[in-house]
Amino acid sequence: MTTTNAPLPTYQAKDYKSELKPIWCPGCGDFGVVQAIYRALAAIGRPPHEIAFVSGIGCSSRIPGYTTAYGFNSVHGRALPIAQGIKVASPELLVLVAGGDGDGFSIGGGHVAHAVRRNTDITYIVMDNQIYGLTKGQLSPTSPKGLHTVTSEYGSLEEAVNPLLYVLAYGANFVAQGTPADMAGLAEVIEAAIRFPGFSFVNVQSPCVTFGEDDQQVKNHRATMQSLAKLGHDPTDRLAAMGLAQKYGKELHTGVFYKNPDPPPTMNALIKERQQVLSEKAPPRSRIFDRFLQT
Amino acid sequence: MGMAGSGGDGIVSAGESLISAAAYEGYHAMMTKSFGSQVRGGESSCRVRLSTARVQNPGGTLDVAIALNWEDFLKFGAELPVSGDTVVIYDSKTGVEPGQIPLVGVTPKEVFAVPIGEMARRAAGTDKAKNSVVLGLIAGWFGIAPGSIVRGLNKKFAKKGPELLAANERAFHLGEEFAKEHPLATPRAMAPPTSSGSKMLTDGNDMCAAAAILAGCEFFGGYPITPSTEIMQFFTREVWKYGGAVVQAEDEIASIGAALGASFAGKKAMTATSGPGMALKTEILGLATIAELPLVIVNVQRGGPSTGLPTKPEQSDLFQAAFSASGDVLRPILAPTSVADTVDVTVEAFNIAEHYQTPVILLSDQEIAQRKETVDPIDTSRFTFIERKRPTAVDLQSYARFRMTEDGISPISHPGMKGGNYQGAGIEHNEQGNPTASGKVHAAMNAKRFRKLAPLQRRRDLFRIDGDPDAPFALVSWGSIAGVCREAYLRATAEGLAVKLLVPWLVYPVAEEIYREFFGSVRAGLVVEASHQGQLYRILRMYVDVPRGVTSFARDGANPIQPGDVVERLRAAALALQSPPSAQQIACEE
Repeated sequence: MTTTNAPLPTYQAKDYKSELKPIWCPGCGDFGVVQAIYRALAAIGRPPHEIAFVSGIGCSSRIPGYTTAYGFNSVHGRALPIAQGIKVASPELLVLVAGGDGDGFSIGGGHVAHAVRRNTDITYIVMDNQIYGLTKGQLSPTSPKGLHTVTSEYGSLEEAVNPLLYVLAYGANFVAQGTPADMAGLAEVIEAAIRFPGFSFVNVQSPCVTFGEDDQQVKNHRATMQSLAKLGHDPTDRLAAMGLAQKYGKELHTGVFYKNPDPPPTMNALIKERQQVLSEKAPPRSRIFDRFLQT
Repeated sequence: MGMAGSGGDGIVSAGESLISAAAYEGYHAMMTKSFGSQVRGGESSCRVRLSTARVQNPGGTLDVAIALNWEDFLKFGAELPVSGDTVVIYDSKTGVEPGQIPLVGVTPKEVFAVPIGEMARRAAGTDKAKNSVVLGLIAGWFGIAPGSIVRGLNKKFAKKGPELLAANERAFHLGEEFAKEHPLATPRAMAPPTSSGSKMLTDGNDMCAAAAILAGCEFFGGYPITPSTEIMQFFTREVWKYGGAVVQAEDEIASIGAALGASFAGKKAMTATSGPGMALKTEILGLATIAELPLVIVNVQRGGPSTGLPTKPEQSDLFQAAFSASGDVLRPILAPTSVADTVDVTVEAFNIAEHYQTPVILLSDQEIAQRKETVDPIDTSRFTFIERKRPTAVDLQSYARFRMTEDGISPISHPGMKGGNYQGAGIEHNEQGNPTASGKVHAAMNAKRFRKLAPLQRRRDLFRIDGDPDAPFALVSWGSIAGVCREAYLRATAEGLAVKLLVPWLVYPVAEEIYREFFGSVRAGLVVEASHQGQLYRILRMYVDVPRGVTSFARDGANPIQPGDVVERLRAAALALQSPPSAQQIACEE
């Protein structure tokens, strides 16, 4: 046994892996996502019990159970409100939210804009596979127009939602995209998102091996993905990010689209400030009814 | 006393000044307001009831009716009923002669046409002082707290400068002098208050929010909806001072979602809404039940269905509260019966939620929530506050969040607690919290979730029962209507009718044993509530053998039930007992 003075990492990726066996199909992109999350969490080094991991419903929403963190596999589309409640109530926690494209941009779509503008310090990871997998292959909000599925026998009539443009348009301060085809890059953007002070969003192109299209599989990702850094994109340029985000569905860009170099204070910081100012001259709880006395 | 006018007449403001002065003097008082549906302007009215004893309800027919114009007054119909004992005062500018006032089928005791507007302009140069003239008239004719009214007016207008202050005082005195120059044929004056010392003056929404903070609530998630919004408003002013926070969410679902998240994080949390919002919250309510998380949900009921009557009270959301869920769900429902006991019921709601790890619905209604009532100062040391059962160090060595226990209550950890890590879920789960589709586990978990709430049904302290236990006649009522029934009970008892009264704070689950015992001696009676269907009556019949002679007296919301109505029906029920009912009558009861 040798001893060393160099600081050792306190946690390793395996410390975040639970004993539950995933229900995902062999080859599912979500295996890569959960691996990337283990790596990102190990790099950050917060103990599992200080992490709250919230999800909605769908294949990908099973993900908290595959970690050793506190998990909350809630109801369809409502992961974001629940996660924000956790973060406001307990700001010291590391709060992660994950789900699928249906959870985030269909049934829960109304919550995304408000999570962005509320700017609590949480990280939202969407596993975007352009299909409803758990219910066996129906149209999703990010399915390309014209897609034939069991609920669009003759091809879908609607345009796809563009998740990247959506959150950028609402003013998100951290927006990135990854794919399990690039594990190192995916772990890196997830880590950067968690470290970012404020609401951060990572869209993961996570292929569905069972119901997904051929051109959306990992093999194809590997061949077509383009690193934003290598393209010379400046991640502090929101307009350039929005320009690139328009290519969603046509080109697969990986890395950070936008990271506000001067992030505004988080909602948690603002709340803390308000609590400090107002608690100074507050009567004790036991005197809360005194204000109603007629004097 | 009932008064009505147009939005700009300040009639509600006059009521507020009056009740505030009365509270300061030590009178018991209650004030209800009623408006048309306009945001500004339109008709508005208020009822003020003053007494030297506790006021149980807004009362029946008016002793004093004040109409600034008849068109507005008449819009309130049954909310401002005039009888042969009423003194009617109205603004003579309406051009209506005292003998020609537009009240159908009733001759008031005395009628005064008073140039209210003209007096306001004379004293203050503006119509806006009409409410001060009205207050002067009231003080002059009925001897109610003139000193305290003037004091209150001075306080209210202190910031508006000495000129306005003097003008309002002149208007008040003009009214007072008019009353003295035109005395009542039968003088009526308020007796002096029996208790000395100022009282609190507040409404159910403010009391609910204040009591929640007292109970340790640190998170409120809300979305504006009439008539519950004042609860969120109170939180946004106060909760930060106690280390808590409010989120005004993007919708009703997100507001209860955020509150549930806060509870998952280990904090006491609450949300408030009204019927239509409750419909949206149903999904997360189910999640709270299966995830066994404490949560208090306030529904300030209004007339329904759908948008219904947003500004009027009704008790028609009981079925929704009890049954609106997917799956087998049992969640406690508590109902306050007055502004004062809203405090007790709110503290109890938190205690039950925390102790049993369950969502609790606090079913208030528009009347209790928004009426102003005098309340004696509260000694907060009389309350006990229960915290959820936390795992011990031993529990944490091999922690199972949903461990099967005899009482069904498993120690609950929260993020940040080392060793307590678990998966909360809407999906059925085993003791560890991991998903399962096992029928055996599902049945055991359902049984656990029901078993833990069983002791609630034996909580006699959540019921108030008055009267001779052997009485053959009975009244059962809940929520704001309970105050009406309490007065009816007192009147009927004074008439010599052997009646008893049961009022539950715990409305659901139905405490079968307590009702069975109560109904044991009963041959006839009424379950009184403000809804079309008589929802409590029907729920009672699901669980208890309600005696055949006990019938439902249910009236749609916004059509006030008065103590006299209840006494009358009780008398009829007593008479019917003496002669056996015909087959036709039995059919009607069904």
